Amino acid sequence: MAMTRAVPRIGGDAKLWRTRALYAALVLGLGYLIVLPVWRLQSLAFDNGAAGYSAQFGRSDIGETLRTTTVLALSSLVIAMVLGTVLAFATSRLPRRVGFLRIVPVLPIVMPSVATVVGWAFLLSPGPGYLNALMRQLPWWDHLDTGPVNVYSSTWIIIITGFGLTSFVYLFVSAGMQNIGSEHLEAAQASGSSQIGVFFKVVLPLLRPSLVYGGGVALLLGLGQFTGPLLLGQNEGMKVLTTEMYRRTAESPVNYAAAAAAASPLVILGLVVILAQRLALGNQARFVTHGGKSFAPTGGRSYWAAFVVALYGLFALVLPLAGVVIVSLSPFWSENLSWDFLTLDNYQKLFDTPGVVESVTTSVVTSLAAVAVCVPVGLATATLVVRHRHLKLVRLLADVISALPLGIPAVIFGVGFLLTYTQPPFILYGTKWVIILVYIVLMIPFATRMQMTALISMGNTYDEASAVSGASPLTTSLRVTLPMLKPTVLSAVALMFILLTHEFAASLMVRSATTQVMGTLLYDQWSNGSYPLVAAMAILMSAVTAAGVAVAMIIGGRNVLDNL
Amino acid sequence: MASFRISGLTKSYGSNVIVDDLDLEIEEGEFLVLLGPSGCGKTTTLRCLAGLETPERGRIEFKGDPVFDSSARVNVPAHKRRIGMVFQSYALWPNMTVRKNIAYPLKVRRMKEALAAGRVEEAAAMVHCEHLLDRYPSQLSGGQQQRIAVARGLAARPDLVLFDEPLSNLDARLRDQVRTEIHRLHESLGFGAVFVTHDQSEAFALGDKLAIMREGRIEQLGTPQDVFQRPATDYVAGFIGMANRLELRRTGAGWQTKGGVDVLVARDVPDAPALVARLWPDDVSLHRDSESVPTGAVAIKAELLAAEFGGRQYHVTVGANGEEFRLQADSATHGSWLRTATEGCPVLISFRAEALHVYSEGGERALASPGSAG
Repeated sequence: MAMTRAVPRIGGDAKLWRTRALYAALVLGLGYLIVLPVWRLQSLAFDNGAAGYSAQFGRSDIGETLRTTTVLALSSLVIAMVLGTVLAFATSRLPRRVGFLRIVPVLPIVMPSVATVVGWAFLLSPGPGYLNALMRQLPWWDHLDTGPVNVYSSTWIIIITGFGLTSFVYLFVSAGMQNIGSEHLEAAQASGSSQIGVFFKVVLPLLRPSLVYGGGVALLLGLGQFTGPLLLGQNEGMKVLTTEMYRRTAESPVNYAAAAAAASPLVILGLVVILAQRLALGNQARFVTHGGKSFAPTGGRSYWAAFVVALYGLFALVLPLAGVVIVSLSPFWSENLSWDFLTLDNYQKLFDTPGVVESVTTSVVTSLAAVAVCVPVGLATATLVVRHRHLKLVRLLADVISALPLGIPAVIFGVGFLLTYTQPPFILYGTKWVIILVYIVLMIPFATRMQMTALISMGNTYDEASAVSGASPLTTSLRVTLPMLKPTVLSAVALMFILLTHEFAASLMVRSATTQVMGTLLYDQWSNGSYPLVAAMAILMSAVTAAGVAVAMIIGGRNVLDNL
Repeated sequence: MASFRISGLTKSYGSNVIVDDLDLEIEEGEFLVLLGPSGCGKTTTLRCLAGLETPERGRIEFKGDPVFDSSARVNVPAHKRRIGMVFQSYALWPNMTVRKNIAYPLKVRRMKEALAAGRVEEAAAMVHCEHLLDRYPSQLSGGQQQRIAVARGLAARPDLVLFDEPLSNLDARLRDQVRTEIHRLHESLGFGAVFVTHDQSEAFALGDKLAIMREGRIEQLGTPQDVFQRPATDYVAGFIGMANRLELRRTGAGWQTKGGVDVLVARDVPDAPALVARLWPDDVSLHRDSESVPTGAVAIKAELLAAEFGGRQYHVTVGANGEEFRLQADSATHGSWLRTATEGCPVLISFRAEALHVYSEGGERALASPGSAG
């Protein structure tokens, strides 16, 4: 009935100040980790009369770069929005017998994006691509020597990027769809709407907030897209802002200031989107769902839904994975696929390659360390944002800062960390520490948002019931709040482990010759042209992730991934 | 001396004053009901008592000791106030069994003797749920969950038990059952209680004392019998179910309704140009013709608007010159014709002038009630 302001405003002054000081320290820490590297980049770009800006934005091809970045982001956004929404609706209408297909739309997240990208290259590169070779058997294409598809063209980079973003849009939209009571849909059907009619007249309008939010995130991800353009776009000289940043730091003459300047449009846009979302979402109490009639999916009997989901699974997961598997088992990559030559030699060779085993350890250790830090820090941040509305400024800062890494591309944090931690006071470049730190930053939004959502949907009543039973705030946290958050924490751990063992963009910036993670090693092999090793490495990455997910499922039950 | 005392309590959200300079006392072992519509500040008052909200001004004393005092800057946190609380949404922790839920207040208050003496089982037995101790809340029905929540609230034998609309989430039949159980527990254990509700029948059934709230203030404080017989204001009369409201204008020596019907006000009322009168629905009678109207009663020509079957009685709504009246008609007497009567059918209603509860024009002052002197 009434809003809560559980903390005394008068009387408990000393206690209030202690709370305030603790949370201020938390925000300072977050600010140091997240804001400072971005700030360093900007001040560098403005050094010497903004020499960085002149170097980057004075180039003759800058217009082309900006145009490519925008077109790539917007086009892949459109693909992702349409596919993500259709998939979310389809999974809600799955026949009970094939209910397990629900997991399909999130599975592409489990597959490393580098693996998906190289998988498509193996299938659709104009010469030796397997699918291209197959299509050239068709009568109307049998005159071609290459093609018909060129995976290195911008059209196909857009399509592959769009497929990758689809899972993210799906997560937001399906979460939004859970909040639409099944009675709304049944009411529309009872009023005479067909299933398609229900989708356009009821579901879509009710989904608008989720679509706006998910679309915002997908747009930012699209603008910061790095893997596809870097791996596939090289052949045709495709340039986007993120690849420009990478080239400025990796190719001579190295120009950090120009790289920093290239980041600016993305940083500004990321800030704008995050602030706009804060304004648009407003009061979070509206999203409390406990206590009401919960959403009960009514198993539909729509076999078209099963077909749509399965088709997506085929293109987003099965085909690229098949491409990778075949190449990893072949002595060399050519269009003439011969089943007789299949061999495990590549795996043997991979494990004999210096640094491979070490890169697996580094990936796992740094990921776990970052996750271990992110869970408590995320819980503290989430508690501050959800439960301490009276700490207005500190709360707002925590909310915005913890969301920043979602809005600003990982490459930018990579460059920022490279810049910040190659100079005093903390010279960490070349160690695992800088990787752990940048991983923490990248995962803070996930750790915070997921626990925030759980806290919001829990409401205050469980904590209040504990307080009036005589439990101190600490006892309440330990005996009530944390045990109730356990499923969420496990899901967050699983998601963060998945994302981090795949991490590529930021890792590429902060790695050194001696400290590699799996993704960066794979990129080096790709650049050297040792494709069968690339494929084996991609399979190894997927296996490590799958092992992590399996462990999470053993501890947390099979529905760990359902909470994503 | 009162066990629990609230004085000058004020709480607002922004410019919106929720509780407005409120004074209230609760005697030892007394069951006080805060009654009012949503938004009147009753839940906020309860939460200030619990320590879950911090008021701007005022003082709250538990057994002579201040637990909140804005001028002395005292604010004892909720967990040190020795209270029990029952929530509308039950708030049983889903990760703990019933046994652990009930034991929680004893454990966190380190009441080892009570735990060893079987207080948990005893509390479960009080609400007839001893067989549910090893279940989880999600395995229980709503009624069982709320019984467990009551047991949890009482387990530590707190000085004061706070009930925040505990029956609102239950369906009608369960609501009556749990209400009776709470009443019997209070009779046998004698705890002090504050019970928030918007349902007047709950309030009448449970309360030793009723506080009817309006816009952050107490409109009337009294026993259920007091409130029922002598609602202090027009607002209270309407809220407890006196649905018929007549606006009266003085015409020479007598009084007239807005619709122009002369009404004799039996008792002396101060010299005023206008009055408001309230009538219980069962003080109004229905007639098909003037012959059955008792002598001396006020009779008004009306037309039938609706008649709903309610078992022994029909709930009847009639209109008379733009004013609506609600009344109960005995099914045995009127059932045969009401069943087939159509809307607009002409009828007569009557009431005794002595049955009118008369208030000043704005409704703030009671001028005359049936049975009172005058």
